[in-house]
Amino acid sequence: MHTLINVGVAQISVADNPAVLRTILGSCIGICIYDKVKKTGGLAHILLPTGSGNNQKPEKYADTAIPLLLEKLDKAGCKRENMSAKITGGASMFKFNSSVSLAQIGERNIEMTIKQLEDAHIPIMVAEVGGSTGRVIDFYLEDGRLKVRSGGKEKVFYKV
Amino acid sequence: MQAQIKQRLEQIVNNIGQLPSMPDVAGRVVTMVGDPDVAFNKVSEEISKDQAITTNVLKLCNSAYFSRGKEISSIERAAVTLGLKEVKDIVVVAATKSLLDKEIIGYDLAKGELWKHGLAVAVLAKNIANLKNYKDIADIAFTGGIIHDVGKTVLALYVQSAFKEIVETVEQKQITFQLAEKEIMGFDHQEIGEKILQKWSFPHILRDIVRYHHEPENAPEESKLIVSIVHIANTICLMGGIGIGSDGLYHQLSDEAIKAVGMKDAELENIYANLPDVIDQVSAIQ
Repeated sequence: MHTLINVGVAQISVADNPAVLRTILGSCIGICIYDKVKKTGGLAHILLPTGSGNNQKPEKYADTAIPLLLEKLDKAGCKRENMSAKITGGASMFKFNSSVSLAQIGERNIEMTIKQLEDAHIPIMVAEVGGSTGRVIDFYLEDGRLKVRSGGKEKVFYKV
Repeated sequence: MQAQIKQRLEQIVNNIGQLPSMPDVAGRVVTMVGDPDVAFNKVSEEISKDQAITTNVLKLCNSAYFSRGKEISSIERAAVTLGLKEVKDIVVVAATKSLLDKEIIGYDLAKGELWKHGLAVAVLAKNIANLKNYKDIADIAFTGGIIHDVGKTVLALYVQSAFKEIVETVEQKQITFQLAEKEIMGFDHQEIGEKILQKWSFPHILRDIVRYHHEPENAPEESKLIVSIVHIANTICLMGGIGIGSDGLYHQLSDEAIKAVGMKDAELENIYANLPDVIDQVSAIQ
């Protein structure tokens, strides 16, 4: 039996095989990083690309949450060269006035997430992002696979 | 198939016996508190007649979200300490939980997700009303938030069987999910919700919130502001994934609503950024 860990908005969770990390995403991004040798992984659920910098919760923002997630994985004994990432979420409202900055949050989240992972040299295996669907994701730490349930359909991504 | 669903839903809305019910006390309390001249003891007496509701209301009065510190052990005390408007909100929370706190299959919401979504929209709508200095309607924003999606409880089964057609209609015609619901099934979850509130004898302003929460621009002038507040709260919660279902973000954020409430760009983004606080507030309601 897998232990199911629910990861909430602006939370980071790191666990070992055989745990499953679950989160539900709208415009937020779920960043799943997996060490395929140690079979340990972490999930960060970010809301926004960047914060204003003053005493904000680092877990909320892509530019602070991703370094924090990597740090936690390092502490858990993971090796950067064995890590890879899968990212999901970043949906946008279907009908939205584009003059409102909130309209681009999904897109801005995707851009910043990709930039942060590239800067950290973590390869992105899957980017199941954008569109207007919500996503329920399950990240299985036994093999790093990612199940994405979206708009009544289910997809599984195995590449690590 | 479509014709069958339309016919079936027509029967349901024309026969209120088939719509979900809720304790009568809630409708009476909501209406009484809408009257500015109502006496405190009349409301307390009304609530106290229903023992099950009274127990749950007292428990909620002492929850971290509603409590003012001192233990509240009677409805009379609650009315004095929290005020009638807050007690009314608590009665609605207690009375609607069993209906809303369940799995909503067609919309792909696991047990508890629609309930938490309603509470989050309630808390956020109240916060927005307070932020923009509409304090006198903050309690109505809260009540409206809890029940805005009540129509989904009836429509879910039909959405499940018509889901493929609804999604195809969304994509082909580039219309929102709720418009596609109406096109395929003859009714959308707002209209069904309005019928349910009619059955419960809820006042007009709450019916308008339920009826227009996805299309505030079409709300009657006198309720446009409150509908817009709940609309914005609902949209931001969905963007944050709180209670997002198979209909996803196939909705709109209405420009007219943003103007009606007077929300600035930075305020909208700030509210979205502070969703984790809303989630904490929701966990404090129990």
